[in-house]
Amino acid sequence: MTDRFEAGTALATEGLRKRYGPRVALDGLDLRVPTGVVYGFLGPNGAGKTTTMRILTGLVHADSGRVELLGRPFGRGDRRRLFEVGSLIETPSFYPFLSGRENLRAIAATGARTADARVGELLQLVNLGERARDRVSGYSLGMKQRLGIAAALLSDPKLLLLDEPANGLDPAGIAGMRDTLRALAAAGKTVLVSSHILSEVQQLADVVGIIANGRLVREGTIAELLSHEGAVRVRVTPDEIQGAIAALDALVGPGAASSEQGPEPGWISVRFDPARSAELNRALADGGIFAARIEVGTTLESLFLSLTASQPDVGAATAPRPPEPPPSPGWSA
Amino acid sequence: MRLFRSNLRKLVRRPATYITFLLLVGLLALVLVAVVAGSQQSTDPDAALAARLFVTFPQAYELVLAMVLGIGGLLAVTYGAAIAGSEWTWGTLKSAVARGESRTGYTTLGYAAVSVFTALGLLAAFAIGVLASAAGAIVIGVSLDGMGDTAALGGLPEQLLRAALALAMNAALGFAIATIARSQLAGIGVGIGLYFAEGIASLFLPDVIRWFPFAASAAVTSGAASGSVTVGGEPVTTSSLDPNTAVVVVVAWLVASLAVSALWTERAEIGG
Repeated sequence: MTDRFEAGTALATEGLRKRYGPRVALDGLDLRVPTGVVYGFLGPNGAGKTTTMRILTGLVHADSGRVELLGRPFGRGDRRRLFEVGSLIETPSFYPFLSGRENLRAIAATGARTADARVGELLQLVNLGERARDRVSGYSLGMKQRLGIAAALLSDPKLLLLDEPANGLDPAGIAGMRDTLRALAAAGKTVLVSSHILSEVQQLADVVGIIANGRLVREGTIAELLSHEGAVRVRVTPDEIQGAIAALDALVGPGAASSEQGPEPGWISVRFDPARSAELNRALADGGIFAARIEVGTTLESLFLSLTASQPDVGAATAPRPPEPPPSPGWSA
Repeated sequence: MRLFRSNLRKLVRRPATYITFLLLVGLLALVLVAVVAGSQQSTDPDAALAARLFVTFPQAYELVLAMVLGIGGLLAVTYGAAIAGSEWTWGTLKSAVARGESRTGYTTLGYAAVSVFTALGLLAAFAIGVLASAAGAIVIGVSLDGMGDTAALGGLPEQLLRAALALAMNAALGFAIATIARSQLAGIGVGIGLYFAEGIASLFLPDVIRWFPFAASAAVTSGAASGSVTVGGEPVTTSSLDPNTAVVVVVAWLVASLAVSALWTERAEIGG
């Protein structure tokens, strides 16, 4: 037993590997999700998030590595461990000819025994009470998503695994989901949410894990991750980006500065001690470039992009392996 | 039990259940109407006599059952494939497995509910077929005295049980095909293809094909002992198994189909 499986851990994986033919989906994933938190599981398309979710719910089996759910090992033949786990993997799955209520009753007939009254409670919780008798085939994507979240909560799980739960939800739906998940975490339950909506994760998650090429590249609380990165953001005019990067690289070192791909052009991220940001300004000025803005720190989006944008999709057999990440704050090695 | 009851509830609400049954009854009615109409219009006395025998009781009991079995065999395969395939197509199997449900248990209980509905469909279609035959007999002017034949009526429960077993096997075959294909449409398509392929192959290899699922299921009732399988609903003479041997063969196909479904589901990597 390593520390990864220490007490107070709701979910842990160690050396998780999975291949689909020649394609590597997971390449030694080490994950540790503390009990009672909302954990944001981030990664670009094909990074291995959904494969991880599938392994954690017994839909597929890892080639090697270990999984522990709620303090006990989980592998083939341990399906009853899932009685305490609720999940929404990829798109919500329902019988289109049944109503929302009938679908929840059908799902409740599988796995852990669930009280009938729970179905009604959850339909109210996800604001589908008035449409509960309508066929699911007539539901919008957002309504199906809300019904999927209700289905995941049926057995009052200790651990909730949600794959892109905000898909199709309107702003009110997202806010409602956020409140529900925060309340669950406050009640001591653990929620793992994979998402591409970084701003949403930033508002929702206590702890974040970033995965790329089937490996975890960062893990920690959002505050820790952002402060640990020590980034400074500089904004110049778009035609000055190349000159600015050259000037900053000359000061900090090659590769320290990179242009951001966000909606606002001209932003450059520099890995540099924020306390010395005046030196960056001077270096730019010496090069004849004047920064329009300088911001200390980084956003989750820029951190995500800097960690994952340069890496090709998982599965490229010849893809360079990402650099070994330093131990993140809070990581038990 | 709660999963079995849930499966029954799902099938009650499922359009495929009613569409399949209405197809069976509709095709049955069509055949009987054709027989009655043919008997009245035909100038050939042999054809008219054959049509009269078709609606003459107690033989009509066996003929109706054989027709239900012939048409129902094809429909049972498609029904089984539709139910099993949709679990993959709609991703509902994924939800059950992710909740910790046993894959084998989920598959076999799903099949058990389907077999209950095929048996109910058989009984209802047989009853409707008998009533339609009786109506045809009245139209043609054949006596209905034979309807109360005690020997024929006494043997009916056993014949219906045999037919129910045969249809259950056909549904299990559809279940297995759709499970391997992981698709509703592919399961239905392959099931229909196999039905007709077996019927055509029986013309060339009758001694081999009689051991195959559709030929064996058509031979389980005493009415089929004279030897016929159906090709697209049309009877084709062949060397059928005797009914008792056919029952054993049908049970073997049923067990094998269920085992394939369970094993395939158990070992499958579920995505989508």
